[in-house]
Amino acid sequence: MSFIHVEKLHKSFTVLEKRRKGSLFRERKTVEALRDLSFEIGRGELVGYIGPNGAGKSTTVKILSGIMTPESGEVTVGGRIPWADRREHVRRIGVVFGQRMQLWWDVPILDSYLLLKDIYRIPDEKYHARLTELTEVLKLEELLRTPLRLMSLGQRMRAELCGSLLHRPELLFLDEPTIGLDAVSKLSLREFLKWENETYGTTILLTTHDMEDIAALCSRVMVLGHGRKLFDGNLETLLERYDTVRTVKACYENPSVMPALPASVTASREGEGILFSYSPGETPTAEVLRLLQAAGDLRELTIEPQNIDHLIAAMYREMDL
Amino acid sequence: MNTAKLYLHSMGMLMKSQLQYPVSFFLQTLAQLVMEGGEMLALILVIDRFDRLGQWAAGDLFFFFGMMSVTFYLTECFGRGITGNFPYLIRSGGLDTILVRPRGVLTQVLCSAVDPRRITCIAVGVTALLIGSRLSGIRWAFLKGLLLVEGILSGCVLILGLFMTEAILCIHSVKSVEFVNALTYGGRSACQYPMDIYPRPLRVLFTVIAPFAMTLHLPASCILDKPLYGWPVWAAFVSPLSGPAVFLIIYVCFQKAMRFYRSTGN
Repeated sequence: MSFIHVEKLHKSFTVLEKRRKGSLFRERKTVEALRDLSFEIGRGELVGYIGPNGAGKSTTVKILSGIMTPESGEVTVGGRIPWADRREHVRRIGVVFGQRMQLWWDVPILDSYLLLKDIYRIPDEKYHARLTELTEVLKLEELLRTPLRLMSLGQRMRAELCGSLLHRPELLFLDEPTIGLDAVSKLSLREFLKWENETYGTTILLTTHDMEDIAALCSRVMVLGHGRKLFDGNLETLLERYDTVRTVKACYENPSVMPALPASVTASREGEGILFSYSPGETPTAEVLRLLQAAGDLRELTIEPQNIDHLIAAMYREMDL
Repeated sequence: MNTAKLYLHSMGMLMKSQLQYPVSFFLQTLAQLVMEGGEMLALILVIDRFDRLGQWAAGDLFFFFGMMSVTFYLTECFGRGITGNFPYLIRSGGLDTILVRPRGVLTQVLCSAVDPRRITCIAVGVTALLIGSRLSGIRWAFLKGLLLVEGILSGCVLILGLFMTEAILCIHSVKSVEFVNALTYGGRSACQYPMDIYPRPLRVLFTVIAPFAMTLHLPASCILDKPLYGWPVWAAFVSPLSGPAVFLIIYVCFQKAMRFYRSTGN
C-alpha cells in the first residue's frame, strides 16, 4: 500500500445560520468540506495541493495530521490512522502553517529548539547533527540567539521550517509556506524543500496559491474544489487541459480605437485599456497581436500571466460546479 | 518523569521570556500585590466592624482567606496554561500546534504558560495564614500540616478542573465566560469566607458542585479545631479528594469533547 492512502473521505461542518424572525433557535446547516475524496501518495513524492479558499485543502491537511476526525472514509499514513493514534503519528510528521507561528515568540529560537528536542524526545547526538545541518542549509547560524519576534517574515519561516524538521519527519505538510514572502525568500525556501526531499526522501504535501511554487517543486498536482478532487496529475497536463484562456490588455494612444477581432475573442473595456480574452487553440496569439497592432498606435500591451484562479475558474466551468 | 522534566524546562523558558520585559514584569507584579492586598484590606475592615462571623473569630477568618489565596494563586501561577488562555487557544485554532506534537494535550497546554506575577498574591495569602495561625493560636502538629498541604493541593486541582469546563464549552463553540467565571472567580471570592455563613443554595453550590468547601474549608476548620458542619476529623482528610474527583470527571469530558474539535480555517 502507498504511504498515504485516502479513500472516500467525508468531512462536514455544521454552522449556525442567522436566526430567523420568530424562531427561538438558530437553524443548523451542514456544510460539506470534503466529499468523497480519494488519493494515494507514495513515499518521497512532492505533491502540490491547490484550490481556492474554502475548497477543503486545510481540512485535508488537518485530517492527515491527526488534528481533525472525518465523518467517514479511510485514511492511513504509513499504515497508521492519524487521529486514532495521534501521538505515534505526529512523531513522524512535521507541519508548517504559513500564517501561524509554532515557535515561542519571545525567546531565542535555539531555546525553542531545545524545548522541541524534549517534546519529541530526540537523543542528544541526533539533535546536534540535525540542528547543525539544518542551520547550515537554512542559513540560520547567525540567528540562533535571536528571538522570533525580532525576525523578518522570511527568517521566521526558515526558523519554523527548521523547528518542524528537527525530529526528521518522514512526511512534511506545508500550508501556504510562501505566503507573504519576498522573491528571494521564496526562491531559497523552494530550494530548501527540494534539498530536503532529495536528500532524505521526505514526502512533502504543499498547499499553495502560488503557481510558481508548483512549477518549481511539484512533479504532481492535485486540485481541489468544493471538497472534491478536480484534477490529479502533472502540471503540464493540467495546463494543457485547462489553461485555455489567455488575456491581453491593450492601451491605445487614441482611446476610441476598437480593433476588429474574430468573434471567438471577447473584449471588454477596463479603465483606459481594453481586455481581450481568447483561446490560443482557436485564435493563435500571434494572430491576435497582429490584429491589435494593426488597429492603431499601441501605447501599452500586457499579456496577463497565467494564474491559478484562472485555471480553477476554467475547471469549475468545465466540471459545471 | 519525562513529563515533569518537560514542564520544568517549559517553565524555565517562559520565565525567561517574561523577563524580556523587566519593567513591565515588575509593575505588573506590583499591581497584583495592590489587588490582592486590597482584598485582604476588605477582610480587615469586615473583622474590624463585626469582630466575628458566626462561630468564627478574626484569626479563623484570616486563615480561611489565606488558604483560598494561596490555593487560587498557586493555580494561577503554575497552571496559567489552563486558567489563562485555554479557551482562546481553542477559539483561535492555536490548539492545532499542540495537536501536531507527540505529547498529551493537557500536558502541553499546562506547559504553555506560567504567571510568576502572582507571587505577590501568594505572599499575601501566606501572610494571612500566618496571621490567622497566630491569632487563633493554632497548635501545629504533623497531621495538621499534612491536612493543610492536602487541602491546598486538591484545591489547586479543583480550580484547574473548573477552568477546563470553559475550554470544553469552547470546543462546542459556546462562548460562556460568565457562567464559568461564576464558579471560578466567584468561587474564589465567596469561599474566602467559611461556607457556613452562606444561605443554603450557595452552600450546595460550593459544597457539591464546585466543592471548595470540601477541599479547603473542611481541612481549614479542622486545623482550627472547629470542624465545619460538625463533621468528624477523618472527614477532613477524605473530603479534599473531591477536588481531584471533580477534575477527573471534567478531564474525561474534555477528552470526549476533543473529538469534536474542529479547528479554525486559515
